[in-house]
Parts: sequence; structure tokens; C-alpha cells
Amino acid sequence: MQNRLLAALPPDESARLDPHLTLVPMTQGMVIDDAEDHLYFPVDCVVALLYELSDGASAEISLVGNEGVAGIGLSIGGIPTLNRAVVQTAGHAQKVRATVLHEEFNRDDKLQRLLFGYTRALFAQMAQTAACNLSHPVHQRMCRWMLLTLDRVVSDRLVMERDLVASILGVPTHEVDDAVAKLARLGAVSGSRSQMTVLNRPQLERLCCECYALVKHESERLLHPVSHHKLRSII
Amino acid sequence: MNRPSDNPDFRQSTATPPPRFGGETSSSTLLNERLAALPRHDRDAMLEQSTTVELKLGEVLAEAGQPAAYAYFPVGGIISLLASVDKKTTLEVALVGFEGMLGLSLALGAEGAPLRARVRAAGTALRIDAATFKRLLENSPEMRADLNRYACAQLAAIAQTAVCTRFHLVEERLARWLLMIHDRAGSDHLELTHGLLAEMLGVRRSGITTAAGVLRQRGFIKYTRGDITIVDREGLEAASCACYRIVR
Repeated sequence: MQNRLLAALPPDESARLDPHLTLVPMTQGMVIDDAEDHLYFPVDCVVALLYELSDGASAEISLVGNEGVAGIGLSIGGIPTLNRAVVQTAGHAQKVRATVLHEEFNRDDKLQRLLFGYTRALFAQMAQTAACNLSHPVHQRMCRWMLLTLDRVVSDRLVMERDLVASILGVPTHEVDDAVAKLARLGAVSGSRSQMTVLNRPQLERLCCECYALVKHESERLLHPVSHHKLRSII
Repeated sequence: MNRPSDNPDFRQSTATPPPRFGGETSSSTLLNERLAALPRHDRDAMLEQSTTVELKLGEVLAEAGQPAAYAYFPVGGIISLLASVDKKTTLEVALVGFEGMLGLSLALGAEGAPLRARVRAAGTALRIDAATFKRLLENSPEMRADLNRYACAQLAAIAQTAVCTRFHLVEERLARWLLMIHDRAGSDHLELTHGLLAEMLGVRRSGITTAAGVLRQRGFIKYTRGDITIVDREGLEAASCACYRIVR
């Protein structure tokens, strides 16, 4: 398994970047701080980008799996944008120093186009999360979040600390329990406090608000324009 | 050719907004902040290729997923970037005023706009067609670097909105929105209907009526149909959530 942005680089760009990549383990709950000056390209882990308000309230604004990179502000603008990211599904990531990646980005080559595409997908995902956070009930937001997570892992089993889920969804832990209980009652998941298994994905999709489908559709449109361009260049 | 100094409408519309840009020439104070940040040569090229257009209240400048025909650099006026909540409700996730530009997706190499863009305070903008904008951008590393930073700022603004909408009361958010509009409007009188505010804040009109009633009762604003007056800005700042101080 590989990070899809890195995998899409042409050989010469890979050759320049590879010596600067370090494969590091990402443990669940690990916090990535922008101040750290590194970016992480998830390989098989999932990172939740959280935005924390000055009064301490925080909630998830998007998920990053192997389709993306945590620390996009550092790579395209050379400035940190998101103030906290937390590993929600353990695995590995390719770690790279921000200055190295920013320099490579400034070569105006394939990496730049890939990161621009990812930035656009992030715009779409964050905007929809804002809308979802505003008005949809917790169990539906949980469906959205579970489906987006499932798309980024190989398993149908999600091992989750309820405190972590609560901080990601921005709700008290008892509301997480209520939402899991509701989804279990409706036959979508089976779950205990620390582990959830998705029993019936179509049911999860039915119970979810439209936000999941919107984000998925936009991400696919924005992240895979390659085939589109190829087609055009052939024509 | 539409240089700002040649165009009387342009001067009029920029007479009131706060000229916060620290450009090195006097003409740059008439400009949009993104254009003012450019080296003179690049700025002149942009001005030469752009047209001054009116931004009409309620006008839709871009639809999500549709190709963006133009980039807009507002001088006065405000553009909302709207996400859809459901079939009837939208939410403003970020806004574009004289400090920004509409058409970031063009700078990010895309043809389609990511979000619906709708004018929510009338004013003026410099408009440039997509192909010309991309060509000029190609030749200006400074503009590319500036817009990449601007993209990061917009991402941060959306992130702030995502969390703000999750936790903060409608009246706190309404106070924040009124302050953000006030900063860009250059006048204490804001032309805003409750319907338009509901569209921005993603709540029902009745929710806006209640929240605006609270702010009026506390003496921060006055309003009649379609017109809100800021009476006590300090009071409004105290009533808004802390998000205002972070993303203005």
C-alpha cells in the first residue's frame, strides 16, 4: 500500500523526494502539531483534522487517508493552517520536512498539480462538514464520518476510543454512546464502547445525511482528473 | 481599458471602504488587496485586462461544479461562498470582499467552482476572464505565491466556520457576521434582509428574527425591513463569538 499522491509522482520527482521520506508508525490518538514543521502522507492510517476554537471546543473538519496529506498549508502556502490533527486509525505515514516539500512544490511540477487537486478536494470536504455540523443529528454525522473512514481503510472494523470519537464529532461521550446504540438498533453496526463493526454498509449509507455522498462525489471529481485530462489530450 | 482612475463609478464605490492596503502607490489604495499586493508590472497587466463590473445584490456569480468563466477581485461589495445544507438551506462557509478574490479554483488548476458564489452586499469588482487570468498567473510567481497563501487563509476560514456553526449560538454567529460585513461595507447601514441572513447562517428565518431581536433589545443594532444599522459596535463585538477575532 502506498500514499496515492506520492504514488502518482513521475520517476524524476519521486527520486528527488524519496530520500527525504521516512516511514513512521502512527498510533491512535497521536497528535500532529503544525508547529512540528513536518507533513505526513498517510499510507494506511487515517488522520482527523480538528479545528480548535479559542474556548477549547473542537471538532473534525475533515479526514485524511492515503488520498491526501496532513499539513497542506505548509506545503502550498508555506504557512500552517490547521491547528491540530489526530490519528484516528493507526497505521503508517510517510513523514517529510515541510521546507523540503515546499521547495519541491515550488518547482511547478506534478507534485504541485496533485497538491492543488487535493486542496480543492479539502475545500469541498470542509465546506460540507461545516454544513453537516450545523444541522444534522449526531447519529447522521457519525454515519458520514464512519463511511468516510471506511473508504480510507481496508477493514470493516473500526477500533475507536469513544473519547476520541467524541472529540472528533465535537459532542459529549454519552451522545456518542447514544448514536452507536441507535445505529446498532437499526442494524447498521454492532458495537461496544471501544470497537465498532459495520454490519451493513448500505444501511449506513441510507441512514446518513446527503453530506457523505456529496463529499465522496466531489473528492472523486477533484482528485481523479487525470483520466479526464488523458482523454482530452487523446482527443 | 478600465483603469480605476479613469472610471468615475470605481472611485465612487471605493470612496467609503477602509483603504487598508499598504501599497507603494496612491492608486493601489483604490484597489483590491490581492491586486495591491502584486508587483507593479503584474498589477498593471491585470488592470489592463480586467473590466469593472457591478456586483448586484443576490446575483449568482458561480455555481458549484460549473466552470468558472471569470475571476473577480471585489473592490466594494461582498460575495458569499455557500455550501448546501439540504435542498432548502445553504450556509455561508467563507466570504470574499476587497481582501480576497473569487476564482481560487482557477489558481488551483481547476475549471469548476467548488462552491456557489452569491453577492450579498452590492458593490464593484474587477472582473477578468478565466483564460486571461490563468495566462497572467502563469507569468507571475508573486501572484501564484500570494494566492496559495490566500487559499490557505480561505481553508482556515472554512475550518473556523465548521466548528463555529457546531458550537455557537445563532445570536453570537449573527453578531460575528454583522461585524464581518461592517468591516467590508464602510457604512453603518447594511442592506440585509432576514432571508439573506438566514441563507448565510444556515438557519430558518424565524431563528434570525429571534437573534436579531436579542441584539436590538440590547441596543447594538437597529433594523427596519431590509436594512440593519450598527449602533454599538463594541457591544456587538462583546456579543459575538471569539471566532470574529480569529477570522475577520
